[in-house]
Amino acid sequence: MTPQEVREATQEGAVVLDMRPPKPFAKEHIPGAVNFQFNRADLAERAELSLPQDNDYVIHAEPDPIAKVAVKLLHEAGFTVVGFLEGGLKAWKAANLPVEELPLIDVDQLKDGLDGYQVVDTRERFEFKFGHIPHATLLEWTEPWAAFEAADDSKPLALVCGDQVRSSYVASVMQRAGKQTSLVFGGMVDWIERGYPVEKGVS
Amino acid sequence: MAQVQETKTLDARGLLCPMPIVKANKEIKGMEAGEVLKILATDRGSIVDFPAWADDTGHELMEWHEEDDKTLVFYVRKVEEED
Amino acid sequence: MIMKQFRYEPLAQASYLVACPRAKEAVIVDPIEDLGSDFYVLEAADLGLAIVGVFETHVHADYVSCARELAEMNGVPHHLHERAEGLVKYDFTPISDGQAFEIGGVRIEAMYTPGHTPEHTAYVITDTARSEEPWFILTGDSLFVGDVGRPDLLVGDQSLDVMDEVERAATQYRSVTDKIFTLPDHVEVFPNHYGGSTCGGVNMSGKASSTIAFEKRFNLAMRQPDAQSFGLFVKETAKPFPDNYARIKSYNLGLISKDALKEAGV
Repeated sequence: MTPQEVREATQEGAVVLDMRPPKPFAKEHIPGAVNFQFNRADLAERAELSLPQDNDYVIHAEPDPIAKVAVKLLHEAGFTVVGFLEGGLKAWKAANLPVEELPLIDVDQLKDGLDGYQVVDTRERFEFKFGHIPHATLLEWTEPWAAFEAADDSKPLALVCGDQVRSSYVASVMQRAGKQTSLVFGGMVDWIERGYPVEKGVS
Repeated sequence: MAQVQETKTLDARGLLCPMPIVKANKEIKGMEAGEVLKILATDRGSIVDFPAWADDTGHELMEWHEEDDKTLVFYVRKVEEED
Repeated sequence: MIMKQFRYEPLAQASYLVACPRAKEAVIVDPIEDLGSDFYVLEAADLGLAIVGVFETHVHADYVSCARELAEMNGVPHHLHERAEGLVKYDFTPISDGQAFEIGGVRIEAMYTPGHTPEHTAYVITDTARSEEPWFILTGDSLFVGDVGRPDLLVGDQSLDVMDEVERAATQYRSVTDKIFTLPDHVEVFPNHYGGSTCGGVNMSGKASSTIAFEKRFNLAMRQPDAQSFGLFVKETAKPFPDNYARIKSYNLGLISKDALKEAGV
């Protein structure tokens, strides 16, 4: 699909699935795109676990051969895929279409500015229970599309998971819903490695 | 540290978070109590995923380490749950 | 560091992916069209790696290269030694002897090793997280396991290639003796061909890796006392020319189009 065709499709409600890794996604992406990292081994399973079946999807993956494989894999898993953006972000920007950024912070920055964020942990319940960032709220990565009642909506959200794959997905969904969101690159692995405080249990 | 001898190996390399624990869970269900499952993973989130999973399921995470190509290796001993 | 050797058995050809998992960046060396650009792109994507460069040890004569397409598809440089300037008819990013590239903790250093072809370059890989000493060398067709790259493949106009067969053999000998064999003994050797490939002689091993020490001691071609006897030995132990080598080389040089190649039945 051309950039214009993709734009039109999104205006009709299609969701762009940006399948690049979190870092390039965060740097710039098609406005409203949802980050869902590509691989062949378990793309279908991860999608089945957490991607709504009732959306029409447009694939953004680079380079084009990856997008073609992604379309096939998602089709086979029962998703409705309208097409893929040919030429990727380069083509999108060449068509003078806007891009959006997802702010990226590391665990040190999060620690320093913790009071200014509402931390949202996107892991499974038992992972959260085992250890989470103080005052974090749990929003399992399999459920981000439902209305999310933040514990404290006045603060910007900081999304976290084990590293940053699940949190990037949820962060992009939050951003899509108009919420002020940042992605914590390095996640709980880095937080714990630094020896930063950890809370246990589910309140 | 004594050499751990695994009963079975699950190659979860290339799988993205949290699929390594999803697969490990499935695999260990078909094993006997006392048997050891060795899991290879490349997803960095596994570092916190596996300890949490072991704590939640009651299985014993015996040891884990990171190899120099960033492959993570976990040894989990199946502990039978008492109902 | 991640290193993957991809073997295409019908042509006994080996290509490589070398990457730093921390930086999530990878380079591809000597990609083959028979596997195709999509193959390499998917291998990298599965590991969450971005391809940042495509390197070739030389312009191949025995197989069709997809380096150009792979580089263009990813918007990254296609590297060949600067000696290929004027020989190839397309744009590429020239590199010189000793030039080093860093991807995260992995260092890729060009080692100019002419002989098999005038632009031939090997790549010495160091994983700086483990050691400042090189770990392995991608020797291309200069040094094989148990053999060396044949110096007698020519194509087209002699003026394109100033090295004649005798001079090439001597140059090949010196490249291995004076450059490759100065690497520490423990450095592993990973070639572009093995076993049945016709790029080397009858002594080429089916094993696709070795070490400097082993080749120093047991590579029959390199055990010859001087460049002269080396040249004779290589000639005596040569295999038939690779199929379609002239046409394949013409395509890889950019002299003919892919359609022309297909029309010729390659």
